[in-house]
Amino acid sequence: MTAPDTAPPAAADTAPDTAPDIALDVRDLRAGYDASDVLEGICLQVARDERVGLFGPNGHGKSTLLNTISRVIRPRAGRVAFMGEEIGQLPAQTIVARGLVHVPQANRLFPDMQILETLELSAYTPRARAAKDETLDRVLQLFPRLAERRRQACKTLSGGERQMLSIGVGLMSAPRMLMLDEPTLGLSPKLKDELAEAIAAISATGIPLLLVEQDIAFTLSLVDRMYLIDHGAISREVGRSGGVDHQEIMEMYFGTGEGA
Amino acid sequence: MSLDVISAILVSGLVLGSVYALMASGLSLVWTTLGIFNFAHGAFMTVGAYIAWTASDQAGLGYGLAAGIALSVAVMIGLGIVLERVVVRPFYGQRDFLLITVMSTLAAMIVLQKGTQMIWGARLKQLAPIVPGKATLWRTTISAQETLIIVLAPIVLIALQLFLSRTRTGRGIRAVGQNPDAARLIGIDVSRLFYVTFALSAVLAALTGILLGSVRLLTPQFGDDPLVKALIIVIFGGLGSLNGTIVAAYAMGLVEAALTYAIGIYWTPSLIFLLLILVLLVRPQGLLGKVTR
Repeated sequence: MTAPDTAPPAAADTAPDTAPDIALDVRDLRAGYDASDVLEGICLQVARDERVGLFGPNGHGKSTLLNTISRVIRPRAGRVAFMGEEIGQLPAQTIVARGLVHVPQANRLFPDMQILETLELSAYTPRARAAKDETLDRVLQLFPRLAERRRQACKTLSGGERQMLSIGVGLMSAPRMLMLDEPTLGLSPKLKDELAEAIAAISATGIPLLLVEQDIAFTLSLVDRMYLIDHGAISREVGRSGGVDHQEIMEMYFGTGEGA
Repeated sequence: MSLDVISAILVSGLVLGSVYALMASGLSLVWTTLGIFNFAHGAFMTVGAYIAWTASDQAGLGYGLAAGIALSVAVMIGLGIVLERVVVRPFYGQRDFLLITVMSTLAAMIVLQKGTQMIWGARLKQLAPIVPGKATLWRTTISAQETLIIVLAPIVLIALQLFLSRTRTGRGIRAVGQNPDAARLIGIDVSRLFYVTFALSAVLAALTGILLGSVRLLTPQFGDDPLVKALIIVIFGGLGSLNGTIVAAYAMGLVEAALTYAIGIYWTPSLIFLLLILVLLVRPQGLLGKVTR
């Protein structure tokens, strides 16, 4: 494991078993819709104390990747391990019960349910239920606006409030790792700052993070390391140690000529 | 119109409304949760009543009505689950899910109906009333069983509402209906709640059948008319709104009672459909419905 490679970090690892400090280990994951493949063999790792970004153009498989890991859609091939255990064949609800929690993009949640009801329901798995009251206090503290609107229906929330609720819902599920899909989609700069603070606070409690984001500044403020996803495969990885270098990001953005 | 007539219309409207509300609430629940119209819902009502009859009647096993009701509920839970598994689940996620399940549940209805005819024959049967005797409401005398229906329906419906709004499973069912993917992502076993929903709706239908089975006569077509009425009510009340369904059920009961008095039983069903069409012209989303489910 050396500094960033220029070559894609494809299935170079020969050892199939996961190191003990790895939270999420994805190997050669393939998935798609109908006849077309969207993911063409994704490999990525997130360590237990790590915050990792996933970056790339729209339509190149970022959301599909998260949906496949959380088993909203079925993988066609490949393996996913979480905290050292295979989860690739498990149904979505079991993956959540194990603590791998996916906050999907632009989640409209449950339109006719109240905020408080939604948060309470989200502590659904046995592990989450055990910590329900405690977590609820924490979520309402983290997002005071949700506390103010606790009796309102989800559908009446603004975009920013809905994002907060989505993250709150994810927290209520008692995550041992969080996967956030574009939490700032369509939000104002002020709201983005608020959310970045909240996400940093969450990750400071020791929850590893896989963050999909289009906003590069937002991502940089939160992650230790970043993958670039391109045409359904990881094309580059930057900043394994010592933070993320801005120069490298620009290269990721505009290409260096070798990835294409 | 004399007070006697008004009383008679109100009372018989209430009886009808209660029956329709019980019947349509199960249909509405399945629609909101799974997004299908279960055409076998009427057959659930028929089969539930026949099972209660077999266990309770002297011509059957003769164990009494309590045993009949218990057995019927138990069997209907199983039948609800089997039906969901066999005629609904295989088609989930397909593009024409709604149309396919219209056909598959219609097929199930026919199988259940013919099965009922094969097992129990065409001879008319009748359940013993849970409460025998007569009762007078305002100026109208009806059977005590019909009074029981009027009293029991709101209790069952309130219990259903409490189940959906207060319990973890009930809230889960609502969540699944509103956004199945988001429900999965908080750890809800969506398939399991589909079973629970179908079983619950089958039990509601059977309960309607058992209550009505001593007022009307049991035939294999016993559930047909209540099914058609329940379908109208669910659309009339607004798809996806259980409260709308319940309001529409009582409205339909009263309108039907009034029309039956005014123009007789022959033209009433046609007029009810005409009324439905007129309402939907003005309010395409139904009485309390939302535009989407």
